[in-house]
Amino acid sequence: MAKFCLKDSEKYYLTLSERPKRFHADSPVTNVFFDDTNGQVFTVRSGGVTGVTVNGMDDSKCTSFRMEDKGPIISIKFSPDHKILAIQRNLEGQNATVEFANFKDLMPTNVEYSHICKWKNAKILGFVWPKANEIAFITDHGIELSQVLPEKKQLKTLKSTSFSAAWFSWCPQSNIILLAGNNGILLQPFSLNNSTITKLQKLEVESSRPVMERDVFVLRVCVVPRGAHSSNMDLSPILQPALDPLSQLPSCSGLESSGPSQLRASFLTVAHLLLRNMPSALALKFLLTDSFLAVWLVPISGGGAVQHVLKTGLVGRFAVSVIDDLVVIHHQSSQTSLIFDIMEDSKPENNTIVHVPIVQGISMRPAVVDEQPCPMYSGNWVVFQPHYVIDARLGCLWRLELNLPGLAHEVPKEEISKIVGVLLRRNNSKDTIYRILNQLVEHAGTYVVELTTCFDEINTVYRRWADLEVARNTAGCPPPARGHFPALISQADMCTHVLHKHTHKLLVQVVTVYLSSLCRCELVVQHAVCELVVRSLVTAGEGARLRALVRRGALQDGRPLACQLLSLGHLDPAAAQLALDMMWRLRAYGEIVEVLLSREEAVCAAGAARQAGVWGSLAARKLLAAAQQHSRPETFLAIYHALRTRNERLRGTPDFLTGHYIISC
Amino acid sequence: MIDVNNKVNSFFIFNSTFGPREGEELKRILFFHPNQVSVDAQKMQVGLCEAVVKFMTTFSNEPCEALQTQSKRYIFYQPEKNFWMVLVVRIPYAAKTPSTPGESKEVIETSVIYNLLVSAYKMFRMFVGPFKDIPPEDIYTKCEQFFTPYIMSRNIANDLSNIIQGINYLPLEKNSFFRVVCFIDLLEITYPDFKCVSFVYNEQLIWNGLATNDMLTLYQYLVQTLLPKQVEKEIQGGAVTAAVRHGRFISPPEGIRTSEDLKNLPKVYLMREDDTEMKQYYLIIYRTLSATVCFTIDVNNTLDLDTFKSLDAFIGPKLSTIASSISEQCALHALQNAQISSSEHKFLYFNRLNLACKTSTPASLTPSTAVKPEVLSIIAGIHADRKSLGNYGEIIIKTPDEYWITGKSSNDREFYVIIQEKNANLKDIADEVKRVCEEQMKGIFFYPI
Repeated sequence: MAKFCLKDSEKYYLTLSERPKRFHADSPVTNVFFDDTNGQVFTVRSGGVTGVTVNGMDDSKCTSFRMEDKGPIISIKFSPDHKILAIQRNLEGQNATVEFANFKDLMPTNVEYSHICKWKNAKILGFVWPKANEIAFITDHGIELSQVLPEKKQLKTLKSTSFSAAWFSWCPQSNIILLAGNNGILLQPFSLNNSTITKLQKLEVESSRPVMERDVFVLRVCVVPRGAHSSNMDLSPILQPALDPLSQLPSCSGLESSGPSQLRASFLTVAHLLLRNMPSALALKFLLTDSFLAVWLVPISGGGAVQHVLKTGLVGRFAVSVIDDLVVIHHQSSQTSLIFDIMEDSKPENNTIVHVPIVQGISMRPAVVDEQPCPMYSGNWVVFQPHYVIDARLGCLWRLELNLPGLAHEVPKEEISKIVGVLLRRNNSKDTIYRILNQLVEHAGTYVVELTTCFDEINTVYRRWADLEVARNTAGCPPPARGHFPALISQADMCTHVLHKHTHKLLVQVVTVYLSSLCRCELVVQHAVCELVVRSLVTAGEGARLRALVRRGALQDGRPLACQLLSLGHLDPAAAQLALDMMWRLRAYGEIVEVLLSREEAVCAAGAARQAGVWGSLAARKLLAAAQQHSRPETFLAIYHALRTRNERLRGTPDFLTGHYIISC
Repeated sequence: MIDVNNKVNSFFIFNSTFGPREGEELKRILFFHPNQVSVDAQKMQVGLCEAVVKFMTTFSNEPCEALQTQSKRYIFYQPEKNFWMVLVVRIPYAAKTPSTPGESKEVIETSVIYNLLVSAYKMFRMFVGPFKDIPPEDIYTKCEQFFTPYIMSRNIANDLSNIIQGINYLPLEKNSFFRVVCFIDLLEITYPDFKCVSFVYNEQLIWNGLATNDMLTLYQYLVQTLLPKQVEKEIQGGAVTAAVRHGRFISPPEGIRTSEDLKNLPKVYLMREDDTEMKQYYLIIYRTLSATVCFTIDVNNTLDLDTFKSLDAFIGPKLSTIASSISEQCALHALQNAQISSSEHKFLYFNRLNLACKTSTPASLTPSTAVKPEVLSIIAGIHADRKSLGNYGEIIIKTPDEYWITGKSSNDREFYVIIQEKNANLKDIADEVKRVCEEQMKGIFFYPI
């Protein structure tokens, strides 16, 4: 099978961030904690007496301080605004207590207080910070959500819910917490948004196969809502072609976790539950053989009701990351990381979509620590959501990063457009898309079909964005939320970054393919493309094709296009003919008069001026000069008399104004 | 207008240099139709023409165009130096002088016959080559082989569409057009030796890769000669029908199945759009459903049966989807057109630059309303006499039997409207023409006068 390989791309599509955050490795007197909400590593030496170091990807939030050793720490986390530090200690008989310390400018202020849960005998499983001043305690009896009032050194309970839980899993991005009850058979998610606790739909698994803590992940991933997304998109023609995609590019951070009100958006952010075992509710719907190795992604919030099945084909333990809405499954024993795009275009069957990895799985790019190759997928690794990797032994905190060109390193020819589709849904992917396209165009002879599908992907996305913009700008209906369009490639972009760069002989075909794709998506061909089309077709001597395109309306009428065609008139009279037609349709009468005068067709020019209503102001001198050039002397006479009549009607006298000289015959 | 069997008296080609000496007169006659005419009669006719042509050179540098006698009209055409093609038509002739002078029944417009000669020559040149390149010993048989069937099959009905030799383009929505173009591009990229020169649907042209004049000849060959035969075959059905769906090579008529068939591929002399001079190519014609595609391949290429087989597999399915989508489009288009009341007046549009030709509803559907031959003659006259209208202009002619004929010329286009209306005045007609023009020729710019 023919494979496409992006030039100068490496085979790895996942890398660890260049410079890992270093922290002091585990030693008998040092304890290391990771806070996944803020993405910070806490290194606590000798219970804090000899220092606590906080390291994170954000250097401005790193700090170190000392504190008293009041007992072994179980969990230590800053509030999201870094003004309060919460510590849970393992103390005999004092289970349900969490200590707080107020911080200012990342340094302790010596204001300390503590809080005891309302269930006195409960065991605190952990605590999370859903908001800057809100903390939720998860106990084996339930959840307690409290507001922290640092000035008053006290906490106010906002809400609590009873639930007998064995363990929990927390997703800081969507503020959703999942509690496992009944020995891991009942999974109950709660949303901690809006200062309250909302119970979400529960999930039960087969009693024979209870779920282990390490097999469940709560992730926030964008999905395509099935309502707004169907194969036959509503393609109403767009009247505003010049929507500027750059002016209002949505940023990813703008996408807060979704509620039902966002159903009209193109993409929804939905918290998902990733399961290794099949939930029993699903088991009946699938007739699966044992060789079907997969993980399940079940929506627990937002509008997405579709379950996703990720076919991994791997056995054994795995870890999960989410990067840029791609679900990454790391498999330790085979040292591979598979990536899945659950936004890909596919039809759900039984409300379930089966996904295969975007590309064949390979390992991450080997990292180097201290000028030594670092053991990859080692047993010391801990993977945290959404995209942190920690090597506890080496003392490294990495962020997992996508290396987009790696996705196109080795792709079967038929799947190039799929990769482009995947890239279009990623941030900062434009350069990679341009690189792919440029390479395809360069070898257009081999890839003309693939170019068609790639252009279609790009233009469909653009079309979807444009539709949404039109809907947003239409008064009368509630504006739909801004969609998720991280990479929007406009026609001008395509010209500057791809089409303008090539001059080889198949450019004509490439341009045709691009135009046809624009037409399929019913996008108005913008001037930049028109200009390029005209130039490339004319230089290639494909005047007939150009005329055919204009005749069939594939290039929309426009004054600039008409002028370009007109200027080709001396090479190709048919082009000038079309140009005049186009001006006529555009009602560019003034231009028509000028063209006719330049062709010394004075009588026609006078007629056109009359139709255009500029007859009264037409300069007599120009007209007569043109008439004089005409082969028939009668023309001059006719024009002369017509002008005199005009003068008489306008000014009551047939005489010409000074300046309107008559040139003698 | 021209009915070969009834009107054409004879058609012949001669070259005086072939038998310059006395007694060799027969050698000069390259072709004579009808061939049952006695040799002496042939010699007499040719001799007369030779004399006239020669005699006329005394007066003008321009070659002689026509000669009219009381009962016949001779039309001369010299396509190459010393080669003359002559068509002789009978003129309705009465012994008495006509009652009203100047009016004669069924005058055949010279220009129409002249055009017939020109297209006959062009067709000959496309398939056989220029006269001068053919060795003198072969030229007699070659002419015989080509012109006899050609002249016999020519049957120009008395119809508006036959006055001007043009190309009927298929108006196609842009997406379908792109499908056609992208298909052609893909084919040419995959098979670089092959060049697609035309894409015809039914009898309407969609894509042209030839210089315009050659396109006209190829188009006429397809529409007048090859396709009618094919369609007839397809209608007869039988074993062919299955193949119709999948598509097949229709030239040579048996298709291409063995390497023997490759030798039967017709060779043509053509000028492609990007060529600067005429070259010889193999002509390959492929047809699926109603779509016909023509390719050329340079004669210097060695033909390989496998290439053709893979070409067949490549084109077949793609072309049939395209053809069916075009047919859907056409059906839709026809439906829309049916709703718009068709113009009650007949019109004829011709664009000199791309030879596009469009007429009102084809006469074959409504034979009762066929246009009178006189009217056609008048239009042919206006068309032939380009000077009368110049670059732009308009002329309105009224015949004694209440026909108003309007001819418009502008921006290299011609537009004729025939209106039959009693008691109309010039202004009524001018307004009506304007209305028809706006209705039928939407978006086309006619110079305002």
